[in-house]
Amino acid sequence: MSSNLSRVFSSLIDLSAPRLGLACARSRCGSESLTHSNTSRRLFCSSAQQPQHREKQEEEEEVSPFSGNKQSPDGENGEEVEEEDEGGGGVHVNEQTGEIGGPKGPEPTRYGDWERNGRCSDF
Amino acid sequence: MTTAVAAGSSKLHFRETVCRGQSCGQASWVSGVTFKGCPQKGLSGYLFGISFLVLSESSYEFDATATTMSSWVSKVLQIQRRNFPQSSINDNWKPLRAVSASYLKDGSVKYFDFAVIGSGVAGLRYALEVAKHGSVAVITKAEPHESNTNYAQGGVSAVLCPLDSVESHMRDTIIAGAYLCDEETVRAWVPFRRKFGRKGEKYGVSGNQVVCTEGPDRIRELIAMGASFDHGEDGNLHLAREGGHSHHRIVHAADMTGREIERALLEAVVNDPNIFMFEHHFAIDLLTSQDGSDAVCHGVDTLNTETQEVVRFIAKVILLASGGAGHIYPTTTNPLTSLFGELQTPVDEFAVATGDGIAMAHRAQAVISNMEFVQFHPTALADEGLPITPAKTRENAFLITEAVRGDGGILYNLSMERFMPLYDERAELAPRDVVARSIDDQLKKRNEKYVLLDISHKPREKILSHFPNIAAECLKYGLDITRQPIPVVPAAHYMCGGVRAGLQGETNVRGLYVAGEVACTGLHGANRLASNSLLEALVFARRAVQPSIDHMSNSTLDLSASNWWAEPVVPTSLGSNIMNDVLSGTRKVRKELQSIMWKYVGIVRSTRRLKTAEQRIAELEAKWEQYLFQQGWEPTMVGLEACEMRNLFCCAKLVVSSALARHESRGLHYTIDFPHLVESKRLPTVIFPCSPVNGTWSSRQLHNQHIH
Repeated sequence: MSSNLSRVFSSLIDLSAPRLGLACARSRCGSESLTHSNTSRRLFCSSAQQPQHREKQEEEEEVSPFSGNKQSPDGENGEEVEEEDEGGGGVHVNEQTGEIGGPKGPEPTRYGDWERNGRCSDF
Repeated sequence: MTTAVAAGSSKLHFRETVCRGQSCGQASWVSGVTFKGCPQKGLSGYLFGISFLVLSESSYEFDATATTMSSWVSKVLQIQRRNFPQSSINDNWKPLRAVSASYLKDGSVKYFDFAVIGSGVAGLRYALEVAKHGSVAVITKAEPHESNTNYAQGGVSAVLCPLDSVESHMRDTIIAGAYLCDEETVRAWVPFRRKFGRKGEKYGVSGNQVVCTEGPDRIRELIAMGASFDHGEDGNLHLAREGGHSHHRIVHAADMTGREIERALLEAVVNDPNIFMFEHHFAIDLLTSQDGSDAVCHGVDTLNTETQEVVRFIAKVILLASGGAGHIYPTTTNPLTSLFGELQTPVDEFAVATGDGIAMAHRAQAVISNMEFVQFHPTALADEGLPITPAKTRENAFLITEAVRGDGGILYNLSMERFMPLYDERAELAPRDVVARSIDDQLKKRNEKYVLLDISHKPREKILSHFPNIAAECLKYGLDITRQPIPVVPAAHYMCGGVRAGLQGETNVRGLYVAGEVACTGLHGANRLASNSLLEALVFARRAVQPSIDHMSNSTLDLSASNWWAEPVVPTSLGSNIMNDVLSGTRKVRKELQSIMWKYVGIVRSTRRLKTAEQRIAELEAKWEQYLFQQGWEPTMVGLEACEMRNLFCCAKLVVSSALARHESRGLHYTIDFPHLVESKRLPTVIFPCSPVNGTWSSRQLHNQHIH
């Protein structure tokens, strides 16, 4: 029975929802200003515009997450620029992504779902 | 079952529908019915003519001279002058004051131009737009922020990056949806050259295309309304990339996007003088009538759960945005909130997403679709496996991230056997759906309640630094995840199916529109792509606005309409002892239903189990109704728990019949009797209403208990 299921499940691979990726390529979208509503309609054009983007392959295990929670990791330093109180309005800037006010710690979507400190809230 | 299910197993034949100005794609001849995003106008011939005009024995007094009425009218006039939108000056425009709202002496009937059921992102977004054209009642069963939206923490997907494209988003959506999404394959021509709206619909624009194209504008509007999303240093929106998306396109606010959107919308709603929020109003049934072969919606009956009063809303347009039905299963991410007693102390837990909207719509003769596609998350923390059992039920399931498995976590059954390699060579790194099925299979085969996810073989520091949330939560209940495995069980999360909606949120019931999780727009197909649900809610709520306004402008409120339907009754005559018995009996029945659903209608299904479920649910329902009526409960009596139970039964039956009807496995619906995808079955499952002869209490509208 289990080998049947195994075959069956593997035939469903193509149809499954989001794949798990171990190391996600992190490309960042460029700095095109998106202020007009018809900007989305110019999405296709683009050979003329080459917004810069950074690609980074990262081993998330090596990144020291900055835990904003009560339990702080043993002997690991946060690498972000500033401390932020929980729920406070401090300016936390993520060095890898340039995101302001974003979640601290490893990239929440690195394994496909939305994860913070171990708890998944979207998938 | 009083439903006729159209799909592979049904014998209904069906002519191509004549659709009003919207393309139907290719409605093909099969021994079932196909819908490719068209409204059900042409189907109305199949709706059995049921008389909905039941003369009420009670009468409503309409006191036109009450001082409250005149002060109300003048308030409305002020509103009208202040908020007069230029765009609405046309021949059809009617002054607000003639149709807006009036209060009766005892407040039991209220009249509005628009009534919205549900206060999540879909309901509020819609309310804010239509409020520019008329008065709006927002009816919500708990506090306004208690919605699944509030817990949607990940993000909203939208094409906002120059490297991204609408087509890419569509493609990702279609693949995730196992090709059951409402459309043909991605078209060759570039969508942005066309204008969407009525002209676009002529070209057969699909729900998927519409959502992916209109997403960016909806996000911008949210920002304009005050929602603040995360930005990068360059000042642009920070876009994350979630599983299944081939580009970065998730807009988010830290990790509480839903809450941020809900907050911004609620603030705008509270400040809008045309919108009236009715919290703690539980919707009982839609008020409908038959106009020739069409069903028409006129309003909704509600129960104010704080005052135990019935409030009837009569409106020209009703938007149903009441969310999903997670609570048909025992473990769900859909939240439980607290019912407060006197002194504001929590006295009980209370589930919001009990499928009220889907059930009401079904009873109101709306067509329901794709109910078999229930999305589960494979690894939610299983409270039963914790050394110290939590004293009260968790507010919403604690989902353990895929990152635990990605970082090396291993799944074991309770005999400490590693089972994933039996199902997939990628073992724990297999796609989430495969993992969910495998866990479900193990649980059912072994008749166990949870499996174990073990990360304790990893260095303690890494575990604590990556997953402090899990560590802390488990430690609260006596479990150290650095030494012991974590008990996990799949949790129901999202319903891809629901009330069948056209491209403008319209249903086959005139005047009734749907948006959000309660709707089945065809966007999700057989499986939802991450972060698409908030987007769908936003887009369809917005799209329902213009047709609603048009419909409203062409309707008049018949102030005597409130007499057309029997009035729901609060069961005070039963006395508190009986009420307590009914309450505890109903609670047991709910748990029993949830247990049947999990056991027989879980992630891995089979025809035998589904039929068993069908039978058990029918028996349970009959037993419960008999018990109720034996206690003296009258068919028009209403109570929160009893009405929720009715709705849960209704939704459970819809899920089971839909699952039985699909003779293939696709997306979220997997059955061992038809384990493969069958191309010819790439069709939505559609449930038509039937005549409620021999129907149960849960399948008939409360005010329509008399069978002709």
